[in-house]
Amino acid sequence: MSAPHTTPGSTGGSETPGPLHGGPDEEYTPERLATMTREELDLLGARYDGVQVLHVDPAPEPGSRVEKAAVRQVAMTFALAGLSAFAAFVVYAGSGWFLPDWQWDITEGGWSALFTPLIGGLGGLALTLVGVGMVLFTKKLLPHETAVQDKHDGSHFDRVTTGASLMGGLNTYGLARRKLITRSLVFMGGGVGLMLLMPLGGLIRNPNVGNPLGTTSWTEGMRLLRGDGSPIRPGDQQPGSLETVFPAVPGGNLESDAATMLIRLRPEQVSLERPREGQDDFGYGDYVAYSKICTHAGCPVSLYEQETSRILCPCHQSQFDVTQGAKPVFGPATRPLPQLPITVDDEGFFVARSDYIEAVGPTYWNRERI
Amino acid sequence: MAGLMAALVLTGTLYSALSPAHATEEAIQSESSAEAAGRELYERSCITCHGENLEGVPTRGPSLIGAGEAAVYFQVHTGRMPLVRQEAQAPDKPAIFNDEEIDQLMAYIQANGGGPTLPSGDLRDGDLAEGGELFRLNCAQCHNFVGEGGALSSGKRAPSLEDANDLEIYSAMLSGPENMPIFGDNQLTPEEKRSIINYIQTVKEQADPGGAGIGRIGPVAEGVVIWVVGVAALLFGIFWMGSKA
Amino acid sequence: MARTATAPGVPTTPLGKAALEIDDRLIVAGPLRRTLNKVFPDHWSFLLGEIALYSFVILLLSGTYLTFYYDAAMTEVVYEGTYAPMRGLEMTAAYESTLKLSFDVRGGLFIRQLHHWAALLFVAAIVVHLLRIFFTGAFRRPRETNWLIGVALLVLSFAMGFTGYSLPDDLLSGTGLRIVSAIILSIPVVGTWVHWAVFDGDYVGEEILGRMYIVHVLIVPAILLGLIAVHLLMLVKQKHTQFPGPGRTEHNVVGNRLFPAFAVKAGGLFFIVFGVCAALGGLVQINPVWLWGPYNPAQVSAASQPDWYVMFLDGSTRLFPAWDINLPGNYTIPALFWPTVVLPGIIFTLLAAYPVIERKLTRDEASHHLLQRPRDVPVRTSLGMMALAFYIVLMFSGGNDVIAEKFDISLNAMTWAGRIGLVIVPPIVYLLTYRICLGLQKHDREVLEHGLETGVIRRLPHGEFIEVHQPLGPVDEHGHGQLAYGGAPVPKRMNQVGGARRAIRGFFSPIEEPARVELEQRRDEHGLSAAESRELTTSGRPSDGGRPQEPRD
Repeated sequence: MSAPHTTPGSTGGSETPGPLHGGPDEEYTPERLATMTREELDLLGARYDGVQVLHVDPAPEPGSRVEKAAVRQVAMTFALAGLSAFAAFVVYAGSGWFLPDWQWDITEGGWSALFTPLIGGLGGLALTLVGVGMVLFTKKLLPHETAVQDKHDGSHFDRVTTGASLMGGLNTYGLARRKLITRSLVFMGGGVGLMLLMPLGGLIRNPNVGNPLGTTSWTEGMRLLRGDGSPIRPGDQQPGSLETVFPAVPGGNLESDAATMLIRLRPEQVSLERPREGQDDFGYGDYVAYSKICTHAGCPVSLYEQETSRILCPCHQSQFDVTQGAKPVFGPATRPLPQLPITVDDEGFFVARSDYIEAVGPTYWNRERI
Repeated sequence: MAGLMAALVLTGTLYSALSPAHATEEAIQSESSAEAAGRELYERSCITCHGENLEGVPTRGPSLIGAGEAAVYFQVHTGRMPLVRQEAQAPDKPAIFNDEEIDQLMAYIQANGGGPTLPSGDLRDGDLAEGGELFRLNCAQCHNFVGEGGALSSGKRAPSLEDANDLEIYSAMLSGPENMPIFGDNQLTPEEKRSIINYIQTVKEQADPGGAGIGRIGPVAEGVVIWVVGVAALLFGIFWMGSKA
Repeated sequence: MARTATAPGVPTTPLGKAALEIDDRLIVAGPLRRTLNKVFPDHWSFLLGEIALYSFVILLLSGTYLTFYYDAAMTEVVYEGTYAPMRGLEMTAAYESTLKLSFDVRGGLFIRQLHHWAALLFVAAIVVHLLRIFFTGAFRRPRETNWLIGVALLVLSFAMGFTGYSLPDDLLSGTGLRIVSAIILSIPVVGTWVHWAVFDGDYVGEEILGRMYIVHVLIVPAILLGLIAVHLLMLVKQKHTQFPGPGRTEHNVVGNRLFPAFAVKAGGLFFIVFGVCAALGGLVQINPVWLWGPYNPAQVSAASQPDWYVMFLDGSTRLFPAWDINLPGNYTIPALFWPTVVLPGIIFTLLAAYPVIERKLTRDEASHHLLQRPRDVPVRTSLGMMALAFYIVLMFSGGNDVIAEKFDISLNAMTWAGRIGLVIVPPIVYLLTYRICLGLQKHDREVLEHGLETGVIRRLPHGEFIEVHQPLGPVDEHGHGQLAYGGAPVPKRMNQVGGARRAIRGFFSPIEEPARVELEQRRDEHGLSAAESRELTTSGRPSDGGRPQEPRD
């Protein structure tokens, strides 16, 4: 370890430190350090780091009642933590072995409903007690010292010398002079940068191919199906009822924009009904069908109050009046719910007369143009 | 409350006493004893708002023709009727009538107005998972994921299903009380209704595997807990740590 | 180092020898000593950031466990697991794997809940930490950069939270995702293009869960880790701020050294944070996805809300009026754009820029390492409280349907109360806070001038009753104190200046002798003399009120 670089292959560096090697090693020789106590060395090191210990509230006297009480308290806390942790482990490992099974069973509350609370409660208690024990230990058994550490501002010397190194080095590149290189670098930077970003281009897709936002699966003559796939006759619903219906396509009940509310109005509502302009014939008898997707943020609106004729959205509380063409009457929504034109086919089941005549769901920039 | 109730009942009684005979002798004679008792109850407590022939009274109460025994059972058994006062929505409260009286009222209304009748048999005889799916599609939007209830417009609310029994839920679906849409038997078949009831009651009764359910209303309660319990406990902790021994 | 390993310093113990072996190779003794000697201020509020840090560690640990089971696939499967009310239902593989984790993995539900609670705590701790930094002025030069990093951490923690709770693909999170889709669509000009890029087409597509998963478990955590590292490195480099007090100046830090005491305390705090998260994770059910059901775009539940930290955006969306802007050429700026994109944009920009804004307004360009008491900077404190009031009105509005339902208030009335409250509550809070700050300032100075109220009533010879005041320092000929306010707390009760002997230790029975405590206290009255040389009696800061100051230093 102390042997100089004399082994084969060594480049043979100097055996004595250079003139810049300094610091406390010069002043505090090993011999001198060996004479100092551990406490002195601690404070010496601290001073070298700009820290001075101002004041120490001593720990309780060894053997005093205060110390004994504190030791007992800390030990008790750690012991309880251990106990709690072991108990958590026993619950975890023993369930289904010598304790009842932990697996959730709908028919019984019992142990399976206690399993997670027990491991969490016991585990949490154990961890909290570990922490509490550590804090108690520092608070009650360690000397409380007040130390002060100096803050240093930046050094002018460092700034100037670093600046000189940086600028000197950059100057040797000579880029300010060698304009051709600078220009080619700029050109290269642009090209390589673009090339590196290029793969992200795969994310960019044109939303205006066809009209994906403005169309749904509904087409002329398509049946209105319930969630379970059965078609609906006009006699199936009572006045004052609402049924969520889906287009008769595979996966229609999972489509994000096709869900429609088929509402049968009560006679009083029919007499109040004022459909939107040009949509007088969209309903069928006392039935109307509106998109279930809110025109505000796309939540399924369907909190239908059949007495007040309001449909409420549970997300942001927009309210639509089904007798007024589902016009928004309260809240942040700006547009009425689109109406699906419906009729009845030869077999007496509800069908759509066409797709929605406008985009369903939330508004977007070029919605009105498509 | 009690005073108002008494006044209402008194008004009803006076009204029926002073009004002219409202049904033919034959009708009365053909009534069963239950219907007759129901008529008496009706004339005492309901007639003020629903009229002498169940036709309803404008601005007070709707017609009961076609309401059927399902509606009577729901409204009276949950204590919504007789109404104490007109407000945004009839609140549920302890039932005024006992089961026998409710049966009598149901018999009277059913005989005179007709309408949906109550089901019989095991009302939870249905598929649990399918019931859940139907519940989320048709009911959860107002009554919340697990039937905790929710707010509607302008002070109205979809009530919590916490205390609702099977028959109340069934009769509510059949009759569509107040703002609730009606789910007739051709829309939700009796089997589907039983599935929904099975789901609601099962989920309601099942324990929470993850500890305290904190109302089962999701993020709002969770947010309250993290601040009032979590952050508060830790603030207390660091305050204690920072204090001198 | 080889040179120093001559006879006198050669270690003799095995531990010493091992330490020498290590240091001979890595030369870590110097940096390690500097670390051990770093001084941490001894005030509870400096531990708030640590709570956030430790919750992050807990999140990394528990989150790694969750990845062993979670499957981000959106393929439809039929559930056949333990939870009976779902058996036979179609759902995405992601939702199925979450159910499996909750019901078929021993302790899986506990870890899931622990993770979610730790996430809520993480954001809450960041917010509380931010408030402490803000109200004490710890963001001032030279710490503006670290403030910026802190704001970035806050925003990223939102992103973590959102992507995290969307992963189970349950009915609640799916509703949230639907709203985010609508928010993206609402961006003028590029909205649909961005949506197509994020979702790989129309909502909902088949990619989004997988993408959010990698954002949640790799991209954002990596950025968070890096930024947290920089945040802490800058803290070490710039050293801690501290509250003004005896011996505390702009050029030092007074407190405890990291080792031995502070390290144990901080370790203890880690375990306490871990314990609180674990206890919540076991005892309080969070996000019971099995009750919410699998996501279906046609289904929704009453009271659909995001987690608490996003609730203010839900609130702003509920309150904002129905104002679409129709532009020539049939273009539309949807109403949704303002409360969900523009408003948070403004809020976070103002937050991030606040140090610069304050510097420009007060023309205070100096470096500050001593903190301010909120009362001494009434304008900043009032601005902060005003912003907080704005935020809280929005947050409450985000849960206004639950409040309406639980307290039987009209939902429409709640919306209007929120709209009106948003406009009038913040200014009222500003004025109130300002008055309170001035009142507190005045009281501090009154105590300094006239002394503490002792509660001793004396009757003067001519019959007048007066309360005897205890001056805090030397008084002039009129009996007025001559102490200047130094930005540090002023004692307000006699006990705080040693008016009473401290309590004897011992919970059930005394474990100290009263006489000894008496002696100890008498000794303590002279106990600080050893350190007097470091100007312990003067404050590092002249009284500078809270008004914009002339640059000093």
